[in-house]
Amino acid sequence: MPSDRILVIGGGPAGLEAARAAAEIGTPVTILEERDRLGGAPDSASYSTVTLDDRPAGEILEQARRAVESHDLIETRLQTRLTAFAGEVGDFRATVAGPDGATATVECGSVIVATGFQHFDPGRETQAYGYYEYEDVITLVDAERMFSQGKFVRPSTGEPPRQVCFIQCVGSRDRRIGNEYCSKVCCGISSKQAIEVRELVPDCRVFIFYIDMRMYGFWENKIYWVAQEQHKVNYVRGIVTEIIKKGDQLVVKGEDTTMGRPMEVPMDVVVLAVGMEPSPGTRAVASLLGVAQEKHGFIEPAGGAFDTVSTSVPGIFVAGAAAGPKDLDDTISMAGAAAMKAVAAVRRLALTH
Amino acid sequence: MSTQLISPGGIPREALAAPGRQFTRDPAQAPTEDLREAAFELEAQGEWIVQRVPEPYVEVGTKYGRLKKIPVQQTWHHKSCGQCGHIPGYSTAIFWLNRALGLDYNDPRDQTSCTAWNYYASATSNVGAQAAVAMRNFSAAYETGYYPLIHCGTSYGHYKEVREQMIHLPELRHQVRDILARLGKPLVIPEEVVHYSEWVHAMRFEFAKRKVLDLSNITVTVHPACHYYKLVAEDAIYDEDIYSGQRTAVVTGVVQALGAHVADYSTWFDCCGFGFRHILVQRDFTRSFATLRKIEVMKNEANPDVVLTHDTGCVTTLDKSQFVGKAKGHNVGIPVMSEAQFVALAMGAHPYRVCQLHWHSVDYRPLLEKMGIDWEARWHEFEQDLRRIEKGEIQFLTWEHADAK
Amino acid sequence: MTTATDVPAATLEEKQRVFAEIEADIRFPGFLKGCYECGICVAACPSARFYDFSPRKITQAVARQDVELVWEQMNRDVWDCSQCFSCLRCPRGNNPGGIITIMREVAVNNGLRSAKEALEGYGRIIYKIMGTGTQVSPDMIQPEAFPDWGPETRDVSANLQLWRKALPPETLHTTSTAWEVNDKTLTELYLIWHLTGVLDMIKAIDAGLHMILGDVMEEMLEEQGYQV
Repeated sequence: MPSDRILVIGGGPAGLEAARAAAEIGTPVTILEERDRLGGAPDSASYSTVTLDDRPAGEILEQARRAVESHDLIETRLQTRLTAFAGEVGDFRATVAGPDGATATVECGSVIVATGFQHFDPGRETQAYGYYEYEDVITLVDAERMFSQGKFVRPSTGEPPRQVCFIQCVGSRDRRIGNEYCSKVCCGISSKQAIEVRELVPDCRVFIFYIDMRMYGFWENKIYWVAQEQHKVNYVRGIVTEIIKKGDQLVVKGEDTTMGRPMEVPMDVVVLAVGMEPSPGTRAVASLLGVAQEKHGFIEPAGGAFDTVSTSVPGIFVAGAAAGPKDLDDTISMAGAAAMKAVAAVRRLALTH
Repeated sequence: MSTQLISPGGIPREALAAPGRQFTRDPAQAPTEDLREAAFELEAQGEWIVQRVPEPYVEVGTKYGRLKKIPVQQTWHHKSCGQCGHIPGYSTAIFWLNRALGLDYNDPRDQTSCTAWNYYASATSNVGAQAAVAMRNFSAAYETGYYPLIHCGTSYGHYKEVREQMIHLPELRHQVRDILARLGKPLVIPEEVVHYSEWVHAMRFEFAKRKVLDLSNITVTVHPACHYYKLVAEDAIYDEDIYSGQRTAVVTGVVQALGAHVADYSTWFDCCGFGFRHILVQRDFTRSFATLRKIEVMKNEANPDVVLTHDTGCVTTLDKSQFVGKAKGHNVGIPVMSEAQFVALAMGAHPYRVCQLHWHSVDYRPLLEKMGIDWEARWHEFEQDLRRIEKGEIQFLTWEHADAK
Repeated sequence: MTTATDVPAATLEEKQRVFAEIEADIRFPGFLKGCYECGICVAACPSARFYDFSPRKITQAVARQDVELVWEQMNRDVWDCSQCFSCLRCPRGNNPGGIITIMREVAVNNGLRSAKEALEGYGRIIYKIMGTGTQVSPDMIQPEAFPDWGPETRDVSANLQLWRKALPPETLHTTSTAWEVNDKTLTELYLIWHLTGVLDMIKAIDAGLHMILGDVMEEMLEEQGYQV
């Protein structure tokens, strides 16, 4: 049976915004979310803030959640996964499995995939950074969790650190790891976090070791310059090869490439700027839907520069980090575009029937 | 597969592991091509023969979680020139460990050096010659029915480079095939390129069962060999229970299985300073690096009883470099040997007849005393062996002498 | 090692010709992709700690096709590399140590002065490996060659014949080779040297050594019935 319902897979920022936008113009929506609550990666990873927005991440997410939960046209199925998929644009049938294992069929006219990303696991490669050996080696995600509790300490002692560094491009731009792309947001997030460390622990020295600082648009003057000029964050061009413990401190070994010499610097906390990878959900859903993926597993938009959301299958659209590394601004913009196309897809069919 | 020889059970997780974090490997995420599959594909196309790892074998995990087959026996011992030439107790200990477990092996005369020491040192070689030398040795092993077990870390790393090049460069493959044809030899690639330290790691619980010394008061620092785990990195052995799966597990794994204490130090990942040409003709570099970046750091941070490593150049460099360091007042003086010699000692091997420690430079006697070995009595026995050889009573020291109680 | 002023003069054409030989090596496309200039190779490099040596600068120069700088590096820096391959951690998948291997081979093939200097005193070792099939032998440990290895080296040297007999493995009773190598095996190795042009490389560096090796090998190859 043809259906004018839109199925949104994934209840993170992209899915929430796509659902809200489609419902706002009168289209019924079903959201599938595998976790037991909406919010996606910023929620599950306890983000403190989202870059370039001063409000707490929790507040922004709560607002998005309320918009969805209060809308009559939106049905939310939590702890639910897609298990099978059939049909064509205007007349898709999705088989879903809920929390009790019971399956159901959702009929829908179009689909928006918003299954997001996962953070790179630094044990998979970059093992010489010792993330699984040393408590004081943490990731941006671990740091974010501390900031959301209003503190920044050495995990091994609970004391404020005296010397902290960020290492950029961990799990990104690396042929040996297989992740050849730039994750786009880590330079900005590290710089934002560096500012937060300086604010929380004013006598702590903070370093950022980078290959290229990629602070596009307003991130340049609103984050990078602020970190460097007001907060005296030290940017050192050179990537660290390994981290190892010496006494009760960590030692990072790298080259200061602009000075042209090897360096070994003691640190209390090292923050690995882990990049983005396709989430397991993105990989699984892409294969169930049969949409084309690019070489790293992200869903590949098929429409070129003027259509960032159509996939290789008519009637299936993609929004957010399921399609590749995205900041939140781009994710939300893309969700609106996907909602528009998905609504157009179901309405065009409604008119012809 | 059979693992009858292998005891179940693991060893306690290293205290180093960050609490609350448990790494799990997923071979599906391995970023590199599986060269073994590529080798089988070329075999299917008639390009070469893949020599299978003989059963029984032990499967161990590598860097990205793939499994690697380690042969238990029927091994063809691809010896190391530096070990046999300058540290003969190293090679002898590897053979002794095979004998101690009653395993069948072949010590060939139809084997040349891999010649990679020269290749890396002097560049008076080229890619075709290196590949031909490697493939000649592989072919020689295949003809005996025994499986190559490579004693030298550089040979092992270099042969893995050769395998990669032979797979990806058809021009090279065909050049080498034609050369081997002139020698009347088939083109053969082993299914796995296996280093002896991987075999020691795979058999470590068997050795632990047979140890006769208490090593609980022995502190060891491990030096991992660059050509073992940095050169063609993906099939070096990693184990989630050792360094949380973040560093190669060989050497450390067997030392822990034997109940000795492994101490960490802050230049663990550093090279030894061997340098190939440097150890021979630019030794000031080698000595300085080995002393300042390795031995002195170990001494200051861990004060170990012994440094164990698993490659020829590393044993030589770390052992021979300490004499000048000591003369210059550096904090040095740690005996150096291969883990094979250490394991053999733990299992009761003779320190001179088998481990041949008189070829080593740094004083190892305090270590032997701490391990509970009466080195004076053992040396006396060995001197008697030497007198018997001098008198012509025996021509050589044999395995029977070596194992005599 | 040599200093910048020692770099031999050459025409631009000569430098370009030599550079083209580096790029033409079949390993080259696998060894150099592109360079972030991030310095991870230097961070891991033992030689960079003791010499004015940078695998990053060498990789950058080759990637930028800077034939002038590459010429200087071939005449100076490349011999400082330890060939440990710690630099393989490169995120771009470069192999700086491998690029240096190729640069050294090109230096040898062209008889560059740096290659001749770097290999001074090395002829004996080349003779061992090419002539005997094992690279290092027990009789190479002589106290005058290794005075810095301590007094134990004297003991080894003084007792060499006897101590070699006191080794249980039957293949290790040798003193002039690391282990006993069959004549047939050795001949096969000689044939490999001939067929792969390695003898020609030696000729460019050390004509005397080339002649000695040639004589040894030809005789044995003829004995075994190989046509060279």
